[in-house]
Amino acid sequence: MPPLSEQLQALVRLQDIDLLLREARDPKLAGEEARLGFALENLGTVERTRKRLASQIDDRLLQTYERMSQRFDRVVVSVEHRVCQGCRMGLPTSSASRSSPEVTLENCQNCGRILYRL
Amino acid sequence: MTTATAAAPKPATAIEGILRSTLYLPNLQARRKTSVLEELVQALVPAGVTRYPAAILDLLAQREALGSTAIGKGIAVPHARSALIAERAVLVARSVRGIDFDAPDGKPVQLFFLIVAPSVGQDPIYLKLLADIVRAVRLTKVRQRLAEAPDFAAVQEALVHAAAE
Repeated sequence: MPPLSEQLQALVRLQDIDLLLREARDPKLAGEEARLGFALENLGTVERTRKRLASQIDDRLLQTYERMSQRFDRVVVSVEHRVCQGCRMGLPTSSASRSSPEVTLENCQNCGRILYRL
Repeated sequence: MTTATAAAPKPATAIEGILRSTLYLPNLQARRKTSVLEELVQALVPAGVTRYPAAILDLLAQREALGSTAIGKGIAVPHARSALIAERAVLVARSVRGIDFDAPDGKPVQLFFLIVAPSVGQDPIYLKLLADIVRAVRLTKVRQRLAEAPDFAAVQEALVHAAAE
């Protein structure tokens, strides 16, 4: 499998940071971590990293991600055995692709999520 | 004629089914917090856990920025979930000299448990692994056994036994 493009990798990293921030803000999850002895406190540092990472992503791609984030917890999802791991629907032989000046992306034809292959 | 096929025994704990000898570093070379994370993450690559060590290292650094994953008594449990992780994994590593990891008790860390998992929605097993490991290493006798373990089998036995108790 070829490595992910730089832009797609940056998008996945942004999503990972969003998950980290979401978990840190979730009282239940943060509470579980705190009970185990882990602090989740300095959100400002991670928020600044998110901002810096976002600035490295193509504008149209970032806008697509931010818009879809309103609908989905995970916008960028893997494909396993030709199944979108976001909606669990099988993908047709040819998948839709969305192009921006910097990157061509494959989208799930069912849910629209951005797809990647590990 | 048919032959009965014995089903593989189901692991009794989350830890039992996940520990691997390829994810055991008995003698870390790193001396600082940033370099130890790098050494841990690099070991995930040949084990097939990720192809993106730089991204995983960045994510773990962000997790550390939220608060140190050192829990005192010479133990740290760095952990994160990422879309760039292919499968759930626990890497166990020891540092003979100990490494300053911003622990709450200020003591250097000798035992590291790196937990990584794919970010696929809720993952109760990931949280259970985290809880099982923390509970196990809070016991003095378990820490002692881990520190003195001569090989991976002894580390595995100590952790699995403690988690099953």
